[in-house]
Amino acid sequence: MKNVAIPILIAVIFIIMAVYLVMFQVRETESVLVTRFGAPVREKTEPGLAWKWPAPIERVHRFDSRLRVLEGEFVETPTKGAVPIIVKPYIVWRVAEPLKFLNAVQTVGVAEDTLRSRINDTLGRVIGQHIFGEFVNSDPDKIQFDQIQMEMVKDLKVPVLENYGIEIKTVGIKQLKVSEDVTADVFERMKADRQRRTEATIAQGNAEATKIKTDANAKKTALLAAAEGRAKAIRGQGDAEAAQYYEMLEAAPELAMFLRDLEALLATLKDRATIVIPADVEPFKYLREMPSIEVQN
Amino acid sequence: MADKHGHEHGHRHIGHADHDEAEPKHVDAAERSLSEALGISFVILKVIMIVLVVAYLASGFRTVGSNEQALGLTFGKISGVGEARVLDHGWHWVFPYPIGEIVRIPVKKQIKLTVDRFWYEQTRNDILGDGPKPRRIVRDKLNPIREGYCLTRSEKQTTGVAAGRTPSARGHMLDTDGSDYNIVHSRWEVEYQIDNIGKFFTNVYVEDLDPGEVYEDVMIESTTPLLRSVVENAVATAMVQYSIDEALQSRDTIPRYVRQLIQRQLNLIESGVRVTSVQLVDVEWPKQVNEAFEAYFTASQTSQQAISEARTYAEQTLTDTGGQVAEPLYQELMKDDPDTDQLAYLWSQVAGQSQDTLAQALAYRTKVVEAAKANANYLKSILPEFRKRPELVTQRLYLDTIEQVLQNADEKFILQPSTNLKGQEIRILVNRDPSLKPKQVE
Repeated sequence: MKNVAIPILIAVIFIIMAVYLVMFQVRETESVLVTRFGAPVREKTEPGLAWKWPAPIERVHRFDSRLRVLEGEFVETPTKGAVPIIVKPYIVWRVAEPLKFLNAVQTVGVAEDTLRSRINDTLGRVIGQHIFGEFVNSDPDKIQFDQIQMEMVKDLKVPVLENYGIEIKTVGIKQLKVSEDVTADVFERMKADRQRRTEATIAQGNAEATKIKTDANAKKTALLAAAEGRAKAIRGQGDAEAAQYYEMLEAAPELAMFLRDLEALLATLKDRATIVIPADVEPFKYLREMPSIEVQN
Repeated sequence: MADKHGHEHGHRHIGHADHDEAEPKHVDAAERSLSEALGISFVILKVIMIVLVVAYLASGFRTVGSNEQALGLTFGKISGVGEARVLDHGWHWVFPYPIGEIVRIPVKKQIKLTVDRFWYEQTRNDILGDGPKPRRIVRDKLNPIREGYCLTRSEKQTTGVAAGRTPSARGHMLDTDGSDYNIVHSRWEVEYQIDNIGKFFTNVYVEDLDPGEVYEDVMIESTTPLLRSVVENAVATAMVQYSIDEALQSRDTIPRYVRQLIQRQLNLIESGVRVTSVQLVDVEWPKQVNEAFEAYFTASQTSQQAISEARTYAEQTLTDTGGQVAEPLYQELMKDDPDTDQLAYLWSQVAGQSQDTLAQALAYRTKVVEAAKANANYLKSILPEFRKRPELVTQRLYLDTIEQVLQNADEKFILQPSTNLKGQEIRILVNRDPSLKPKQVE
């Protein structure tokens, strides 16, 4: 048993050592360049295990392939209409092709310097193709800020990948500003604009308030007129209904007239009346003389 | 480390074996005891080896915290596919070094990022000073490097009226077809978390840990520049789409739009980061135009107040006129073809002045009808008697009335007519007593 175990053990150890020499891992976060006697032979960007010749023959160079962000500096550059604007760009980039990267820039620091100068060129080029009104415009449909940023990506992407093995994920403008002198003009304009709108607001407010009141009054008038009309109709109905009863009076028109007169008399002399009456009307005639009542039989 | 141990033990083991094999025939007691001792140490070594192998394998057990998710790497490649590759919190086994590796990333953690690069320059005193202090001297220009701001678009003007433009404003800035703009300061707060750890781990640069550093801190520190850039870009892109008034008033739609833009960009670069909240903490017009803006907002308020007062007046007027149904009634009346039932219903619900008018009319109707009815009935009731004895009935009615009239009269003068005093006149002094009041009308 021992005789078998020991050679196996030795074998295992040798295998492990050998494997160590000829294999290497590529992590998810890296890409790797293999060089043979200093000359690059192949690159490996997929993660996992890979083979190589032992150390002195082939060497492994690792590059972090994760996204890095580069903040640019403020750049003042003219738009198509020669209006200067100040922008600050940023770039998200990563090492995509280790071989080109190693040949062209080697380190992240150098890559960043290179990108900085290239982004400034790109900014100048792309911004110079657009008028200021495409950055900010009172008509939102004319704003092409998004497209401009995409153009920057396009402008930068291909040459940078071809020359440096750097992949540009995105390019954007972090800050969009105008030069110091222009801000004074902007403020003047903002003030004037505000003043105009202050006046407009006051005028509008007053106009609206007046209109609301006028409307209400008009409605009031209309409603009251309608109510009055309706009231008139109701009164008319009453009169019409009452008229039905007048027909009944036709049975004895004289009596009806007499009753009506009496009623009128009562109504007109109801209050605060002074009556002067001769003593020879009934029943005052009895103030002068006794009646002579004949008893009939 | 582990395999180095294995290596050393392996050598010792080999040495042993040689020794053992070389002298099997000596049965000498000392030799036997030596052989036994060697045998025992051989067994011990074996046990140690097994223990080491087990310990090595056991070292693959790792915990993932409750606020974390993890990825298992095998030979540097994420093991598993799709959902299965994410290890949730609990115990997990991965191959020990150098084959496997576990990467733990805090996913529940809400990382907060404050962006104040769009805010005006503040001195220490401005920030730390206690109480409201006057802002430092206002320059009439903004330095583009030191002072932060966004450009916002101008209000869309109808028919290109160049109202409010001052002659001092420079020509070429103004004549660029509606490219007027405003300047506004704003402050933002963004919260994000790692959403897809696979993408995050693969794509987002996180610095290697130095001894004593916590992954979370390093992760936040490493991702901040990326997030800051993306957020600033989104803010600058979003703000040009809004006017300064929208920016000042809407604390809702603009952040939502900014959030969309941030997320779009983060997805585009496959960062595996999700924005959970975007807040517009503060937004302010430049100090340089403070007076004009304050005046404007005061005017807005005043005019709003005037309008709301007018509304109150209108409501009051309508209620006084017609009560609650005044408005619907008015609308119905104004229709070309009003719905009669609806109108009748509304009239029945009417209140206020209109109702008074209607009530009076109704009262009149009742009165007139009732009076006519009463008269008719009265006539009807006395008619049979009248037909029988017309004179008596007439006289009685007449005298009853005269009696009533004379009772009601305040003053009565009964004059004796004289036949022999022609041409004479009688004067009666009607001395109305002012204290006499009309009788209460019932």
